[in-house]
Amino acid sequence: MTALLWLAALPCLYWTQGAETAPALKKAAIERVCVPTDQADAWRKAGLTPVPLSDTDLGLRETVAAPGIRPRPDRASATRSPWVFTNGSRFLRDPAGKFLYDLPAGKGALAAAEAYAYGADAVLKIDPADLESVGQMLAFLSSLPKSDLPDVADVGVVDDGSATMGEALNLLVRRNLLFKIVPAPSAQYRVSVKLGTPEFPADAAKDPSAFALKVRRQLTDEQRSLRIFGTEIVIGRLTGDGSRVRLHLLNYGGRDTEGVRVRLRGTYPEGEANVAGAGKVALEDRGVVDGGTEFTVPRLGPYGVVDLPAAK
Amino acid sequence: MDRRSFVRLMAAVPFAPSLKGAPGDPVKPDALPKLNVVTKYAAARVPGMPGPYPGRVIAVKSEKSVDVETSAANDEVVREMMARGMCALTGKKTALEAWKEFVVPADVVGIKVNCGGHPWCVSAYEIVAEIVRQLGAAGVPPTQVYVYERFQNQLDEVNYAPHLPEGVTIVAAETANRRADNRGYDPATYVEADLFGEEDTRSNMMKLVSQKLTKVINVPNMKDHGATGATGCLKNIAYGSFSNVARTHYRGKSHTYSFVGTLASVEPLRSRTVLQIMDGLRGVWHGGPFARTRKYVFYPKQILFGTDPVAIDRLLLDIIDDERKRHGAISIYDRSPQYLKVDDGRARDADPNVNIIIREPGHVEFAAGLGLGVADKARIKVQDILV
Repeated sequence: MTALLWLAALPCLYWTQGAETAPALKKAAIERVCVPTDQADAWRKAGLTPVPLSDTDLGLRETVAAPGIRPRPDRASATRSPWVFTNGSRFLRDPAGKFLYDLPAGKGALAAAEAYAYGADAVLKIDPADLESVGQMLAFLSSLPKSDLPDVADVGVVDDGSATMGEALNLLVRRNLLFKIVPAPSAQYRVSVKLGTPEFPADAAKDPSAFALKVRRQLTDEQRSLRIFGTEIVIGRLTGDGSRVRLHLLNYGGRDTEGVRVRLRGTYPEGEANVAGAGKVALEDRGVVDGGTEFTVPRLGPYGVVDLPAAK
Repeated sequence: MDRRSFVRLMAAVPFAPSLKGAPGDPVKPDALPKLNVVTKYAAARVPGMPGPYPGRVIAVKSEKSVDVETSAANDEVVREMMARGMCALTGKKTALEAWKEFVVPADVVGIKVNCGGHPWCVSAYEIVAEIVRQLGAAGVPPTQVYVYERFQNQLDEVNYAPHLPEGVTIVAAETANRRADNRGYDPATYVEADLFGEEDTRSNMMKLVSQKLTKVINVPNMKDHGATGATGCLKNIAYGSFSNVARTHYRGKSHTYSFVGTLASVEPLRSRTVLQIMDGLRGVWHGGPFARTRKYVFYPKQILFGTDPVAIDRLLLDIIDDERKRHGAISIYDRSPQYLKVDDGRARDADPNVNIIIREPGHVEFAAGLGLGVADKARIKVQDILV
């Protein structure tokens, strides 16, 4: 992938303030910016790479939720873990889709990371107060070693396109149950899900949480390609091709999480993390146990990736 | 001081929690979860729990130990109670000799306090300070003493520092109960269990316990607990030394029955916890483990000593239940739905006849089954000492 194409793969900041604000964007290390069509020339002259976006273009994009969490202090202890707002399932469901984030302050960096982690074509409308943090995140994303690996999935899901299935897929993402949308059930996956079958009756997804738990029980925790311990607000996306894997880690909690413990099915004797805000970070407490590789990412801000070559 | 002591055997009343709160058939939850213990540590030749004195409890009581008007403890009386209790437990003539039964100068000693009942019922400054003083006399310098809890914000509220000599480390595994920092926990020592379909199925032991301490002294309080019935030695050392434990109770159901004892039995915690000093100067008979108001605070005015956490906790169940009865409150053994208001903490705080979870006081008996001590009242030998 060329550098230009790679840059284009990053989410694009949509900026409606005039080209006279270019110094602020440059200070935030932002090189490429989505702008109203009639401002493109001015931005080019100001030294940035403009991507013209008309109101029509914007209107055709699917607006997605601001990523993050909503605490549930009213719930009993075991469910004190907050509700996580993630767009992962929407991106996986529609890999060719075009998306728009319209974000309140404080969400820009995580949204940029989320779009990148899922390879989504996304435009970010941010609060200007987030310019610096979004710039830092985009710079971090562009610094990452290039990777174009396919999804690792334990579950093949036949998507019926319904809203019910959409929420069920959302719960699979939130539970770190790795799935791939497939046209028909396949033995390639440890669990196949198709609604309307004896194993998954038509109404099986009406309670998305119960649905996700049923899938998990069928798969079993031992067979899962990815487990995350020590937190319930970090969501992973695992990609790999047999020779190596890349694990994207998105922390939706809004504050750093220390000691994110990861278990990957398989043996990966080496590897390192790249963490937004920290750069390259050594993995701690590494070990191979019962057919899985475990390690700890010592500190995770909104986003990090872990690259691991497979054992030879 | 007026002193007398005597030995009594617990009355041979069967351990008899029942579905309706009256004596009857023991309650064992229908299905116990599968608990998978992962640890590389081997047990000591004589594990600290139940230690050298299984089934033996020294109960030192003093009317002068606490001023019930101010809730302040009498430091001098507490010291006397501590000395008497330790000597009685070990059969030694002096407190120093007694303490040397449990520690050597090379030890790195953790003192597991309980701060959850701030401001009215926490491990007393006077007791913690006396432990540190006696450790020093036995040759363990302050720099080898760690006062610990799971949450730093709770330790900060209680603030033991002004009561302790310089050099003692006051430390927690997490800044607060928000599950944002796990580096204080040992990733290789844990109990794995899927209790309610929660995603994080591991409860990890504090690194401090597994990697630094050689001995642990447990200083729980006498408190009611909404999920376990009472929280004493077992729950303080177990839930206070492992991560991710609140997951054991959910929507009215509690898996504390088997989880508390299982955590306490994990090595090296079990072997290194060599002494139980239950602070019963103050207590909480409802709404525990918290004590945000004095509404449910009472004053047992006693300190229990032993190495057997089960035996002490078995006594505690009666102490809490008896106090509840005195106030006309339902028993900790009551499992009836009519008193259950799931997750309604406000109703529970307002009314002692409200449970938010079906309590599991049987966790004490379960722990006995794991070899952690003696729960059979007929086999518990209590020595009462009045100071």
